Amino acid sequence: MELRTSIHRKFALVTLLTAAIALAITGTAMLFYDLRSFRSAWITDLDAQAGIVGFAAAPAIEFQDPQTAAAYLASLRGKPTIMAAAIYSASGSRFASYVAEGAPAVEFPALPGTDGHRLGGSEVELFRRIVSGPEILGTVYIRARYDVAARLWRYVGICGAAMAFSLLAAFLVSQRVQRIVTAPILEIARVARDVMDRRDFSARAKQASDDEIGVLAQAFNGMLTEIERVMGERERAEAALVDSEERLLALNAELEQRVALRTAELEAANKDLEGFSYSVSHDLRAPIRAVGGFAALLGEDHGAELGEEAKRKLGIIRSEAARMGHLIDDLLAFSRLGRRAIEPVDIDMEAMARMVYERVGGENRARTVEFRLGSLPTVRGDRALFEQVWVNLLSNALKFSAKREKALIEVDSITTGNELVYFVRDNGAGFDPRYQSKLFGVFQRLHRDEEFTGTGVGLALVHRIVTRHGGRVWAEGKPDHGATFYFSLPRETGDGGV
Amino acid sequence: MEEFDQVEILLVEDNALDAELTMRGLKDQKLANRITWVKDGEEALDYVFKRGAYASRPDPGPRLILLDLKMPRVGGIEVTRALKGDERTRRIPIVIMTSSKEESDIVDSYNLGANSYIVKPLDFDSLAEVARQAGFYWLAINRAPG
Repeated sequence: MELRTSIHRKFALVTLLTAAIALAITGTAMLFYDLRSFRSAWITDLDAQAGIVGFAAAPAIEFQDPQTAAAYLASLRGKPTIMAAAIYSASGSRFASYVAEGAPAVEFPALPGTDGHRLGGSEVELFRRIVSGPEILGTVYIRARYDVAARLWRYVGICGAAMAFSLLAAFLVSQRVQRIVTAPILEIARVARDVMDRRDFSARAKQASDDEIGVLAQAFNGMLTEIERVMGERERAEAALVDSEERLLALNAELEQRVALRTAELEAANKDLEGFSYSVSHDLRAPIRAVGGFAALLGEDHGAELGEEAKRKLGIIRSEAARMGHLIDDLLAFSRLGRRAIEPVDIDMEAMARMVYERVGGENRARTVEFRLGSLPTVRGDRALFEQVWVNLLSNALKFSAKREKALIEVDSITTGNELVYFVRDNGAGFDPRYQSKLFGVFQRLHRDEEFTGTGVGLALVHRIVTRHGGRVWAEGKPDHGATFYFSLPRETGDGGV
Repeated sequence: MEEFDQVEILLVEDNALDAELTMRGLKDQKLANRITWVKDGEEALDYVFKRGAYASRPDPGPRLILLDLKMPRVGGIEVTRALKGDERTRRIPIVIMTSSKEESDIVDSYNLGANSYIVKPLDFDSLAEVARQAGFYWLAINRAPG
């Protein structure tokens, strides 16, 4: 509402101010012109009066009749502005005179002047010669009040009244006219307010005129259309987003449910496996224990009754029972590995390899073994499991190089773009590359037991541990030319996750 | 080795062959002259607490218990829990004998207060050491009041 008053008031102000200025300029110009023409008309009039009086009084001058001349002068009474008048004779003496009633004491000029008038203050003096043919009979003198102030005030009064009426008219007209101009603007303002208040972008301003305001309304409507379109698009996009979010959530929930289900299944399977391992460890080992134990008792209690061959066979029973015990133990260790949670820590692989090498007896062998340990990068993984990896690889290297006079075991590493590769190389028995695929299988052995003892679980364990840490294992070798066992681990990606 | 005359050993083992091998081993180690063998956990608890068939067993009762873990009805873990939870019996050393190398079994046993843990086939040297310590312990207890 403030806007409305404001624009109306401004319009009225502009209209009235314009009208007032125009009227003032016009009035002033008219006044100036009027005063000038009034003065000149007035003087002409006075001159004419003087002429008439002179013409009428001419015989009286010729006949030296001052009374008649004074009577003619007195006829000037009808002109109240004439304060005094006189007729001078041709000789220059005052012949007759007239003084208006109520006029102040007048001092007539001693001698008549030449034809013409002289303005002085608020009075004018005028001389007019009386001519009869070529002869100059005398001079008429008129002195009059130049009453310009009265006329001026009258004039200003009229002008003021005209101005007041004009302004009133202008105001009324502007009141009417401005509606034509402001209505479309107010319409746009109303729509704009609606849009702001109600966020309703479907509102449109009526285009009431073809002028600039019409263009404005058109542009405003165009803008609203564009905003409405953009808002609509945004709303649709938001709705789509919400919709897809909901679908995503639903999908997530479903996935989580499925994962939970699978986890439960896996847990159940794991439980079964655990139960199986437990049974194997307990039930399977009991008979083996009995076989070994009673074979031992037989040897102890009845050794004297047995021949050498019987004792040898008894010995085989005992050692095979023991071997079966080891196989079962290894198998259980292997299955336990699958269930054990990895606890990742930073591992100094170099220190670990050296420590394990000493522990598996590399340092204390009677034979000469050269152990070369390169620099190994630190890795993140399960300490116990990696110890197992080193134990298996290093004891393998020692075992398979046992028949060398000068055994050489090298441990080193290669760092590639995204992998840390560790390897253990020996100059031992090596293996036939044709059987490489069997190296890392459980209970797979490439050597006969008479050559090298073992259960065939060690490398399978290495494979399983490294795979569980996201790495891979492989080997290179040739019969009698040693073997190299590699295992790689992914390089840290920053979060240390394995 | 006369200290061990005082020590009656209770062997809790459901497998007869294992029991025979164990008793033979104990004898070979000259660890005890009196070994009582019961076949499951329930029987073991009856024996220790002088209940049921063992209500009239001679005192002073077992001074060392060799306990198998996996037995029908009442297992070794429950027996350990029952004995270590009872003021009268919690000082009797319990040696768990098992074919299991499951870490959870070992941890459970020690948490319940088992004194030692021996994996079958029996490590008789360790067992002898445990029995010796148990014998010294009970000898000291028996002589203290006197």
